[in-house]
Amino acid sequence: MDTPNPPLVSIAALQKRYGQGAVVLDGINLDVNKEEFVSLIGPSGCGKSTLLKLIASLSPVTSGTLTVDGMSPKNAREEMAFIFQEATLLPWRTVTRNIELPLEVSKVAAAKRSEICARMRHLVGLDHVPEHYPRQLSGGMKMRVSIARALSVSPKILLLDEPFGALDEMTRDRLNEELLAIRAQQKFTAFFVTHSVAEAVFLSSRIIVLAPNPGRIAHDFTVPFPYPRTAETRESPEFQRCVAEVSRILRSVSPAHP
Amino acid sequence: MRKYVNWLLPALAGILILAAWTGVKEVFGIRNFVLPSPLRILQAAIKERAVLLAAAEITITGAALGFVAAALIGFLASMVMSLSASFRLSLYPYILVLQMTPIMIFAPVLVIWMGPGLPTVTVITFLICFFPIVANTTQGLISVDKNMVDLFRMINADRVQEVLLLRVPHALPYFLTGLRIAGSIAMIGGITGDLFAGNTSGNAGGIGYMVLVYDGQLKIPELWAAGFTACLCGFVFVTVVLGLNWWLLRKWHDSIVKSDV
Repeated sequence: MDTPNPPLVSIAALQKRYGQGAVVLDGINLDVNKEEFVSLIGPSGCGKSTLLKLIASLSPVTSGTLTVDGMSPKNAREEMAFIFQEATLLPWRTVTRNIELPLEVSKVAAAKRSEICARMRHLVGLDHVPEHYPRQLSGGMKMRVSIARALSVSPKILLLDEPFGALDEMTRDRLNEELLAIRAQQKFTAFFVTHSVAEAVFLSSRIIVLAPNPGRIAHDFTVPFPYPRTAETRESPEFQRCVAEVSRILRSVSPAHP
Repeated sequence: MRKYVNWLLPALAGILILAAWTGVKEVFGIRNFVLPSPLRILQAAIKERAVLLAAAEITITGAALGFVAAALIGFLASMVMSLSASFRLSLYPYILVLQMTPIMIFAPVLVIWMGPGLPTVTVITFLICFFPIVANTTQGLISVDKNMVDLFRMINADRVQEVLLLRVPHALPYFLTGLRIAGSIAMIGGITGDLFAGNTSGNAGGIGYMVLVYDGQLKIPELWAAGFTACLCGFVFVTVVLGLNWWLLRKWHDSIVKSDV
């Protein structure tokens, strides 16, 4: 087999527990290649968000190995960006100044900063509100700013922790489509935590289903249809079949409820 | 229309209160030293305006200096306390001790240490303004959302950037709340300072000192006039702080910006 490129993210025999508490993740083995779009789904408490935080090095690995682009996650931080469930914008900064924040922190020159920012603002469709403050924006627009901010550093890897969970369905679908359109240009590798099977199927090239107690990988599912995907993709029978199948898998790993 | 109501209603209420005041005094024949009429107080204020203005200036100077010192030192102390939980744990009880000890007990001690005069008045005001500023600002500095802190870690911000770009702006409304509370009690500090530590050489004391003088001379309407002067100074003080608050938060904070989108 010829695999000239090593996996971008490589996880082997990983275990995670917080302090002396219960084991949150156990025996995780996962290789993810460049430009894959991986969704992590699973019942509450399966550790999907924790896995994302480990990759981001926001939390230390207990045992096992985890490398990002051949480095420790901490050293690879510059290649990653994280998008949280809330938009986490600074309310005292305008849209423009929020998008520029990571560049400002890494001391990119002002001219370069505003050039990148203008490009990102355009990419997420916020050209018309450069000087607005977050409180003047809708939930969907705030999330767009958050995406633009994450992309401003041209990350190789984008980590998304249920970014659209708090939005209404229409906005969520729109942002899903836009996210894929942006990815077609920016070519990042994505890890996407979600509760929505339909969202996972629509976005991903690969879906990892986690089972709880302790969190472990139960299924590694490849989404069979190609990009680009559009709103029509959701209506195809193939898509529906896929959603049904992943839902079935998800149910099989969820603890039984009365 | 609404704009007019906002000052018309209080104005009407004020006239009613003055009328009731005058009425009660006339009907029950209350004597001037018990309750002077509003007009008498106004006359006294006009007659004594030079003295009262000079006194107000002295009191406001002490109050303002103590207030500004409390704002600056309070902010710095909050920064130190926000740096580590151990600092907070060690220092906070003693800041509470400062707050819980009535200022009337500190005041004579301070006069023994520093003698009467403006520096002592300043310290007295500082002592009562310090706590609300420290308590609020520290709260603001440490109550930053966990995700925001994670965001700053993800963009590789160093500790200084985290403090300057995240914690300090986040704490600003808290700091201003501290200033508002401190602003409303700064005049108490100034007047307490006058009473205990006012520099009265050449008969030029602050409002607190003038209260003592008028009381001693049984100049009761003048005493009331001094009270209203203090009240007016307090309003000036709070107005300045509220103006600062508005100016700093006008663009982004929900407490200031009312209309949405």
